[in-house]
Amino acid sequence: MTSNTSELFLAGATPPSLRGQRCGACGALAFPPNPYGCEKCGATADLLTDQALTGRGRLRAVATTFVPPRKDMPAPFTVASIELADGPVVRALLTTPTDESLRIGDEVQAVLVSFSTENGAQTELRFAPVEAS
Amino acid sequence: MRKELRELRPVYVVGIGLHKYQAASETPYVQLGLTAIREALRDASIAFSAVESAYTGTALLGMAPSRVMLRHLGGSGLPIAQIENASASGSTAFRQACLEVASGLCDVSLAVGIDKPGRIQLAHERAGVPDLVSGYVAPFTHFALLAHEYMHRYGVTAEQVAAVAVKNFRNASRNPYAQRTKAYSLDEVLAGPRIAGALTRLQCCPVGEGAAAVIVASEAAIREYGIDRSRAIRVLASVSRSERVYEPGCDPDTELTRETLAMACEQADIEPQQLDVVEFHDAFSIEELLYVEALGLCGPGEAAALLAQGSFDIGGRWAVNPSGGLLGMGHPIGPTGVGQICEIARQLRGEAGNRQQPNAQLGLAHMVGIGSVCVAHVLSRQQ
Repeated sequence: MTSNTSELFLAGATPPSLRGQRCGACGALAFPPNPYGCEKCGATADLLTDQALTGRGRLRAVATTFVPPRKDMPAPFTVASIELADGPVVRALLTTPTDESLRIGDEVQAVLVSFSTENGAQTELRFAPVEAS
Repeated sequence: MRKELRELRPVYVVGIGLHKYQAASETPYVQLGLTAIREALRDASIAFSAVESAYTGTALLGMAPSRVMLRHLGGSGLPIAQIENASASGSTAFRQACLEVASGLCDVSLAVGIDKPGRIQLAHERAGVPDLVSGYVAPFTHFALLAHEYMHRYGVTAEQVAAVAVKNFRNASRNPYAQRTKAYSLDEVLAGPRIAGALTRLQCCPVGEGAAAVIVASEAAIREYGIDRSRAIRVLASVSRSERVYEPGCDPDTELTRETLAMACEQADIEPQQLDVVEFHDAFSIEELLYVEALGLCGPGEAAALLAQGSFDIGGRWAVNPSGGLLGMGHPIGPTGVGQICEIARQLRGEAGNRQQPNAQLGLAHMVGIGSVCVAHVLSRQQ
């Protein structure tokens, strides 16, 4: 359904870490990782090393989408722009289908969501609001 | 030595033509394109045999559409090529035509944009670089996220963002080539249906079909073919850029627009404030506010208040999207960037009728495309 695959996260930690990439030539920290080269300076892929990004961050923006881009997608769903505690800003699906209770600045953390598809079981990384304790 | 467009041979827009933008129909693209090209040839008062090269901006038609269409104008053997640059395909076709005349490789070149709705295949989905939201973030979701961030940062309301669409529909209602011809009210725009975030259906551009054509010529061609010099519009600057790596959280479309438009104004040797008409890529209402500020017509967060005061209306300080923009005139992809040049040339000639910006001297056209890319041109009435 999506290409949100296990290449993008490191499942061991709680919450799961995102698989970032550090450039050994210019020091740029990037997400998502790629097998080709550094987007900042052009260094080849052998100079890029995995760097775990903590799966915690704060909402910069959320948008609930009511019209799915593809007919086989459930709607509504909510996508967020999230500033990770480690710096990079990523976009991810939230576990909540709508954004009514969410505010910019709210804390969120990564969770793994498993579901079955036509092609078998699939695990995706999404983000969930951190409940106030 | 590196040179800018203005230091090469002067290039002029001498002919403009359009086929109305409309919802998908049975009309073949050849008919759409020929309608626009023949109108542009009549406008310039030249024969197709005078055209020495042709660039077709198209993203969806498939391989080799140009000769299938152009042969019906008399197969002259001219060099032709298709230009695909996402939403900026037409703008890039226009740029190629300008560069060819400016360099002296030819004296008359044609840029035509054509498309019909079709299956969109995005190369990035086959790039082998997965991300967390691939497939989920259509352009309307991308811009809904930007809208949310902008509204929160500057205390701008959903009504103020929707007001962009109201202005652009009012302009489009005076444009016979526009796809959306109704001057919708704010209540109608806000009434929905909701698409993503704060964006309702009428804050998202319609993607239909149509065609636009522009003929550019050198001084020599203007003399040789007796083209009316008083209606020729000078192309002062042409800039094409692609996305760099920006600071985390920066919106690439706005940053890319900021640097591209600054380069365009510098090349044209003008201040942004001097512009009279601006056609922006307003595929979604929020974009016009972001790009007005990126151009520097006002400071960050100030665009919504200026819009409410009428500063961007026809007759205001700057006419922003007098054609109706992508929201009102429509966004048939390939034609859109060429259609912007048609509108600006018409405005600078003083021939825009009931949507004329008074005494318009300078205009700017801006498109962004998925990728991201950004293409801008500055046109001048003064030669």
